Amino acid sequence: MAATLCGRLLPKAGWLPLTQSVRHGSKAVTRHRKPVHFLKQKLLAVTEYIPPIPAAPPGALVRRVRKTEEESTLAVLLRKDLETLFKECKMIAVVQNNAINAEDLLQLKHKLKRHNISIKFFPNQVTRSFLNNSIYSNMLPLFVGQTVIFVSKEPKVKEMLQALRRSPQMVLLGACIENTLLSYQGILNYSKLPSMTTIQGELVGGLTMMTSQTVSMLRHHPAHLSALLQQYVKQQGSGDATNAITNKDASTVQEAAA
Amino acid sequence: MFSVLKSVFLGFVRTSSQPDVLQNNMKVLSAGLRTYEVPPDFSDVVLPEKPKLKFLEKVPNLKQAKKEMKKLRDIQGPAKSATTFTKGQYGIVALGGGYLHWGHMEMMRLTINRRIDPSTTFALWRFRAPHKPITRKGLGQRMGGGKGAIDHYVTPVKCGRLVVEVGGRVELGEVEAVLTEVAKKLPFPAKVVSRESLAALHQEQAERETNNQNPWTFQRVARANMLGIRKVLSPFDVHNHGRYAGKFFYPKRV
Repeated sequence: MAATLCGRLLPKAGWLPLTQSVRHGSKAVTRHRKPVHFLKQKLLAVTEYIPPIPAAPPGALVRRVRKTEEESTLAVLLRKDLETLFKECKMIAVVQNNAINAEDLLQLKHKLKRHNISIKFFPNQVTRSFLNNSIYSNMLPLFVGQTVIFVSKEPKVKEMLQALRRSPQMVLLGACIENTLLSYQGILNYSKLPSMTTIQGELVGGLTMMTSQTVSMLRHHPAHLSALLQQYVKQQGSGDATNAITNKDASTVQEAAA
Repeated sequence: MFSVLKSVFLGFVRTSSQPDVLQNNMKVLSAGLRTYEVPPDFSDVVLPEKPKLKFLEKVPNLKQAKKEMKKLRDIQGPAKSATTFTKGQYGIVALGGGYLHWGHMEMMRLTINRRIDPSTTFALWRFRAPHKPITRKGLGQRMGGGKGAIDHYVTPVKCGRLVVEVGGRVELGEVEAVLTEVAKKLPFPAKVVSRESLAALHQEQAERETNNQNPWTFQRVARANMLGIRKVLSPFDVHNHGRYAGKFFYPKRV
């Protein structure tokens, strides 16, 4: 230290302090953290970083905008598939899948395949985006949670219900059969409907009921008919109208007898 | 016959007595479609012929080995050289000053060479082999009798210097584990960085300096020698802004 004090001449360019202490502690660079002079501690405390305070909390000013992500190409492809399905298939049933086994699913698929009903898996995101922009938007509440759709070209509801009876994990939620939305009860009723030919026959029968009844009545023995008419007259009571009716009926009876 | 028709048509309108599955109050959980991120493109990455870290000599090849002064200023303050990335993508940056000796280098070399896949990754040193001689006196020697003999050689590393760089067809996640392992064993605090994260660190420091609400900064007080504070400050504090003290670095200081 003494050597440094009586060292070489002060260089003009540099700057040395006027006083240097004789006592020497540790060097400038130490392995331990040197005790900091109290004044320097105060300086460090005063000159600490103060972050800027935002006028409003960070979440308050930003509008809550829903992130509109671009639809991936896979989603577009799946949507196209869905479109073709809805166009081609008459029956589209939505079923909730409560963790069915692979084995049970295979068996169910096999049963349904026999009647040309196929099971389709689509992500809910894709189905919802498709349904929003189509006429089937009322089916949206069905596609919540783990859902699966059964599609088929022919509406074979009875066979589908029979197959579903064996698998308790699949819960039928609703269906769109021939562009009509049906709930579970509706599907059950639909399955109980007789076939087209029988309905047509019944309709025709219903329409011609009146005429056929009259024909059958006229074909019977006229005594039966006259007895019925007399009974009718008694119920109506007396009057000119009743007389007119009896006259008319008598004439028709005579014609029928002839 | 009429009853059949009636039940079919009214079945649509009438709500069933049996509770419908959808009429319960359930929380709507909408599962999305899994889409995958595009993996990064490494087509422009060139791998060198020798991807592994090369062996560094313990002792430099000198005819006459000269004893050197301690010169602890090679540890003090921020680094001037090797502060940015050259070929690699990820690296270890020193956040304090210190000496690296041959043991540290062997540890780094062996760990990294063992763990990286030479077909896809490469690593390179960012410092010289040990060149600074450190002397030691024998055990039990009294003071005096001249300077001790050269014991070993070291490389000085200043704060902010990159120690080792890793690059290639890899992502940070694959390399981070090895580098953190190595960084913990170094004699100074070190951090694993990538090009982006290092730039982000510098950016953050610059932002802190600009949006500091405190009107009093260390630099301002020291330069103007307010209250004669330079009596207790070193000349290095003036241009280090109080962020460096000896070999230590205080990143929080502005």
